[in-house]
Amino acid sequence: MAEFSWIARSPLEKALVVGGYGARGTTAGVSLTEIRNFDLIQVMARRGKAAELAKAAETRFGVTAPNAPNAVRVPDATLIWSGPDQFLVLSKGGIHAMEKLSQAFSQSASLSDQSHARALISVSGGKARSMLAKLSSLDLHPAAFPAGTAAATAVDHTSINLWRGSDRPDGQAVFNLLVFATFAESLWHTMLDAAAEYSVEISHSEALA
Amino acid sequence: MRIVCPFCGERELGEFTYLGDAKSARPAAGASEDEVFDYVYMRDNVAGPMSEYWYHGGGCRAWLKVARNTLTHEISSVEPAAGVGAKQAAR
Ligand SMILES: [Zn+2]
Repeated sequence: MAEFSWIARSPLEKALVVGGYGARGTTAGVSLTEIRNFDLIQVMARRGKAAELAKAAETRFGVTAPNAPNAVRVPDATLIWSGPDQFLVLSKGGIHAMEKLSQAFSQSASLSDQSHARALISVSGGKARSMLAKLSSLDLHPAAFPAGTAAATAVDHTSINLWRGSDRPDGQAVFNLLVFATFAESLWHTMLDAAAEYSVEISHSEALA
Repeated sequence: MRIVCPFCGERELGEFTYLGDAKSARPAAGASEDEVFDYVYMRDNVAGPMSEYWYHGGGCRAWLKVARNTLTHEISSVEPAAGVGAKQAAR
């Protein structure tokens, strides 16, 4: 009988080449970092159970889960709004993995493990907003899209979950985006093309920002 | 044309898919063949205010009921379609 070994691999394993890309001779205007090895659970209220879900989420995370397009940080997870009565739980190390959350939400929500179904890309740098403006129709100016704002949207005809996390130590805004694994490579190349003129710094990381 | 999704806010048309007339109601079980035929195939070609279903597939994936003037594209109201989870819109 065939032996299968299931090894989690990044959907950007081939496309992502660590180092510089695009314009040379300037400091990188855009940093693209793929975050690898995370737990991501989609939580959706069952019919008529939105209030129960809100209560269960508060018990589990100690904060009100987002009921508007926001991302809420708790010490060991980020709760990202993804639509009415639903949100994503992004975490690491199994703390809020499927088997943990399925107990917490057994009475109120349907859960779906998206850990290996999405790629997580973090975009930052002085020209990050200029690059994203080529692809997204959203206004990402700090006045319209402050830290903690989230959006379910489409860039380059690809559905993404976008949210602005905490700023980098140098004060630059950080835009995180989750994209379906099978669309990740396509979106990656599109972003590289859009960012090339600003000079790009490419990396991957195991750490959730 | 832009649609103000009650959950996501103002978004470009490209994020939405059009379904059509939100008025047509499924006939009761036991309805005549003519009534079912009407429901499945016959559509009014409205020139003016119309109630329509739109799907925010490039966003929150909610179905919306949009009142739109087909002559001017003026949108007078957008609300969650029946069955969409949250009763309260986010914005
Ligand atoms: Zn929406």
